[in-house]
Amino acid sequence: MSEQSKTLDIMRRIGAPRPERIRISGILQSPLLSSLTLLLPSGDSDPAAGVLEILGGHDINIRFINKYKDSAGNTSLCLCIDADSLDTAISTLDVHEESLGIRDFVYHPKVKVISIYPHKQRPRVAERLLTTLRMNGVDPLSTNNASSVVSCVVNSEEVEQALACLANAFELP
Amino acid sequence: MGSAETLEIYPLKIQRGLTQLSFLRIPTRPGATRPLFDLLERHGVPVRFLIEGCAGDYNRDLIVCIDSEAFTRLEPELKELEIRMQTQALELRQPVAVIRVLGPHFDIRPGTSSLLFGALQRADITIFSNATTITSSMFVIPDDQVETAKRVIGRTFDIPKKKK
Repeated sequence: MSEQSKTLDIMRRIGAPRPERIRISGILQSPLLSSLTLLLPSGDSDPAAGVLEILGGHDINIRFINKYKDSAGNTSLCLCIDADSLDTAISTLDVHEESLGIRDFVYHPKVKVISIYPHKQRPRVAERLLTTLRMNGVDPLSTNNASSVVSCVVNSEEVEQALACLANAFELP
Repeated sequence: MGSAETLEIYPLKIQRGLTQLSFLRIPTRPGATRPLFDLLERHGVPVRFLIEGCAGDYNRDLIVCIDSEAFTRLEPELKELEIRMQTQALELRQPVAVIRVLGPHFDIRPGTSSLLFGALQRADITIFSNATTITSSMFVIPDDQVETAKRVIGRTFDIPKKKK
């Protein structure tokens, strides 16, 4: 058992102090999606644009994007697409792997995006979302905010667990 | 629905004068990011932009944008924050701006993201970060590229004029 698991196990057994519930309007979940995470080289041109162009050219609908530069200077690009497009996306990216300079490529075939609203740019909403999920053994693959929601990508088999623990952590109408 | 070139979007929302903080390689454990969010909450600092992603080896990367004025107030506490979060690197970018593009068809129209990213790339706009969910796409770009980005997005999509 890793140190992290031990700490988590102790916290679950003795119980962490229960913070006040944060009032929100609702929790949404997406249809079944697939996630792709690519590590791309950072150069003069934006490598993400090339990936999106290729996928768009194959009518692949993209419902979630996280893009940023990691500690090694690579571009990390996480995408969620309709689950029935996964095979097409993989084969398409395989064909263009060299020209796009893809350094690493991980996919999860069945994920959902869970969104909490409203976010209203409140730090404690994001904090409660991330900590609650991890305390309950759900590790979000990717998280971001939009104008009114904060969303995370979760493996589909963990969605029920995620929704149950979030319903306890947040006060719903 | 019109052609991609005339796809209608809502008026852009632009937040300027921001600082992007990238907390890189934080351990994946419950509460790892709490010191940051607690600090922001305590000082009443809104999170203008947020993304978290997997950094490998049970680490995470967390990128947030806050107002530069708020960043100046929090700067003396950053060193301790880094230690408490066990982050392996903290990178700062300022001044940056967040442009929100909201389109009613973004979630059902393949190729929209490509259209947007491609147009910005051709105009040499540097996209530091992007968060897209359903119909909303938020770009973190250098503050001095905002006017160019506005023109490019305005040429790519149909943006209704605000009523006076």
